[in-house]
Amino acid sequence: MEYVSPEGLRLDGRRPMEMRQIRAEIGAVSNADGSAVFEMGNTKVIAAVYGPREVQNRSQQINDQALVRCEYSMANFSTGDRMRKPKGDRRSTEISLVIRQTMEACILTHLMPRSQIDIFVQVLQADGGTRSACINAATLALADAGIPMRDIVTSCSAGFLNSTPLLDLNYVEDSAGGPDVTVGILTKLDKVTLLQMDSKLPMDIFENVMQLAIEGCKAIANYIREVMLENTKELEYRRGI
Amino acid sequence: MLSGFNVILSTISFSIETEEAESLKQQVSFTTTTIPTALLFSGIPFEKACQLRVKGEGGLSAATAGTMVGLSLGEKHFIRGGIAQDLRTDGRKRLTYRPISVETGVIPQANGSARVRMGTTDVIASVKAELGKPDLLQSDKGRVIINVDCSPTAAPIFEGRGGEELSTELSVALQRCLLGSKSGTGAGINRSSLMVVEGKLCWDLYIDGLVVSSDGNLLDALGAAIKAALSNTGIPKVHVATAASADEQPEVDISDEEFLQFDTSGIPVIVTLTKVGRHYIVDATSEEESQMSSAISVSVNRNGHICGLTKRGGAGLDPSVILDMISVSKHVSEQLMNKLDSEISAAEADETES
Repeated sequence: MEYVSPEGLRLDGRRPMEMRQIRAEIGAVSNADGSAVFEMGNTKVIAAVYGPREVQNRSQQINDQALVRCEYSMANFSTGDRMRKPKGDRRSTEISLVIRQTMEACILTHLMPRSQIDIFVQVLQADGGTRSACINAATLALADAGIPMRDIVTSCSAGFLNSTPLLDLNYVEDSAGGPDVTVGILTKLDKVTLLQMDSKLPMDIFENVMQLAIEGCKAIANYIREVMLENTKELEYRRGI
Repeated sequence: MLSGFNVILSTISFSIETEEAESLKQQVSFTTTTIPTALLFSGIPFEKACQLRVKGEGGLSAATAGTMVGLSLGEKHFIRGGIAQDLRTDGRKRLTYRPISVETGVIPQANGSARVRMGTTDVIASVKAELGKPDLLQSDKGRVIINVDCSPTAAPIFEGRGGEELSTELSVALQRCLLGSKSGTGAGINRSSLMVVEGKLCWDLYIDGLVVSSDGNLLDALGAAIKAALSNTGIPKVHVATAASADEQPEVDISDEEFLQFDTSGIPVIVTLTKVGRHYIVDATSEEESQMSSAISVSVNRNGHICGLTKRGGAGLDPSVILDMISVSKHVSEQLMNKLDSEISAAEADETES
């Protein structure tokens, strides 16, 4: 199948190095301490953060740092065909773990010993790149909850189809069977915290694809920073300063 | 100003130190939206209250309590007292709803979807239609399956399998309120309209509800969201090849462009009356729900007919009270139905514009 037309356009009309439209909003769940919605094209996720709070299960308490937990869940209606899923299947457990590890790397956990931070991500619509979208949403939600972090983590994926590197794969491109490189970076520190790839790629091409994904992460980081700034201004305005 | 104040106020009882304040402790420890009245009752001047706020700042974050049904004695008393005096903690009367907002078409992959917000309660409903084979016993009717999920984003207790019990309770209650009995009599949704070829082909409607944020009255909100989602639903037109013989599955051609609107005029709204003390209220928040003795959910359609009924909560009710509650809910449902209809049509107009 042809994923990039001779004119250099992808199936959804994007250029190879073009990202889908992104939209983020802080404060979607009023009961939570922090929450955010993140959309990348048709992919839409909600993240909610509860904490730092008392550890619920005493045996999990860590004496010198905070316990970070994460649960990833998909709504029944999030996929094209209706899902009949058992809760907590392998895929969601793995994604929960990935998100937890990525976020744990940037939270200053040593400042909140003997406490617990819960990150819940809920996928409302899945159209490829849910992993990345969840991480971006979680970053915003953590910032909204006022949890101290080293840096902003953002994530983006890139692939390689029809001998062209492609940024931000959608579901159709993702299921084409080509390589799918998901990268998460700490934007200011310029460090990679998450790197996953399935399928295979020659070394030199992998470098290009990964570089492309990193560029994507940086673009998302710029947008996220804008959203946060906007939100902070609004809060300031509400306080009447 | 007030919004920042809200969160802090509930922690005051931990951090008041002055003796004068000590005596007021019981009266001040109210939550969120109660401030104006709380101050009035306790007789603290506003400046004083602002000082209290500063003191309260170092305390435990009240927001971390999440859905917080951990109420102090004073708070419980205040909620009950307010209901008895027909002035609830957020300034509503007993039979007033929180403002409702409806957004349709939120899930493009579904045949129909809607998001309904009532105060801070936030739910999404989606409708997906799939072609299937009807049951042998009811060969002239399609199937409708209602399923509700409680997302852990709404409250940490829904994590893992924690939300399952509530999800099942809500699904069953919705099924009872909207679908009627097994044979389909009394159903708010006309299942005969889902038939494509009798005995062979019908539409199965999968209705999925998702609780994104929960602050009480989930059933009414879900009912409203499903109603809105169904009026947003377009079922593709199906062309059936006529040549098929009696025992073969007919060949079908599903249209991408032509859609049939679903007839939603008969779909009821659900009104939950929550009994607190000797009175009952509509649209209870989670704090008020924690004080309930029992609740009755009645689904009423446009003609004022009752389509389904569920009683929840432990304490018994006098039959005459039940009848009274039903007649009140019927009255309230008219207002809710009108409000919802106008919100739905406004949301649909919004959607076609954008």
